[in-house]
Amino acid sequence: MNGIHDLGGMHGLGPIVREENEPTFHDEWEGKALALARIGLAGGHFNLDEFRHAMEKIPPVEYLSISYYERWLEGTIAMLVEKGVLDAGEIEARMKDLS
Amino acid sequence: MSRVITQEVARGLYKATRTAHVDADVAASFKVGDAIQARNVNPTGHTRLPRYIRGKQGVVAADHGIFQFADSLAHGGGKQPQHLYSVKFTAQELWGADAPAQDSLYIDLWDDYLEKMA
Repeated sequence: MNGIHDLGGMHGLGPIVREENEPTFHDEWEGKALALARIGLAGGHFNLDEFRHAMEKIPPVEYLSISYYERWLEGTIAMLVEKGVLDAGEIEARMKDLS
Repeated sequence: MSRVITQEVARGLYKATRTAHVDADVAASFKVGDAIQARNVNPTGHTRLPRYIRGKQGVVAADHGIFQFADSLAHGGGKQPQHLYSVKFTAQELWGADAPAQDSLYIDLWDDYLEKMA
């Protein structure tokens, strides 16, 4: 897919900022997002290549404006819905409960 | 029905060794030292062949062995086991005459991504 993820050779994205003593996660939810994806993979609900493609399909403007682990979370949600583990309505209802 | 994933189960899942290597007998279309050209293709599905490599000419630097094919597995296809190579491209081939002459890039590419030089 000729998507926004295929950035090789593109200009104008700014400098690569290296963070000294970068923590594994910048927020607790990032660890949970990673764990959720890994459990979905390890549990056989989807495979790594399907998961990568799910992230590639995030609309370009959104893809560039969200963070690394937000992409993981979006990809995991897309996979869990596509594979029938959850339905989009369940996720929306839960988000409403939490907000 | 829900499967409960306890801490113990999760640890086991993490420790389980997974590999994309496939123990199969598949002939290699290329050997180390072969001059190749990356196919110019634009698949709408998942691919590990980046745009900046397509249509470029390189040399097979190593044969990693036989691996499952991501482009197929991403779409419910089979493993399509095939040789995976490390392929060397010069920076000038990829980015033009202004690129440093001493630089080159090695990228892992599957058999299906490559064709023999015409």
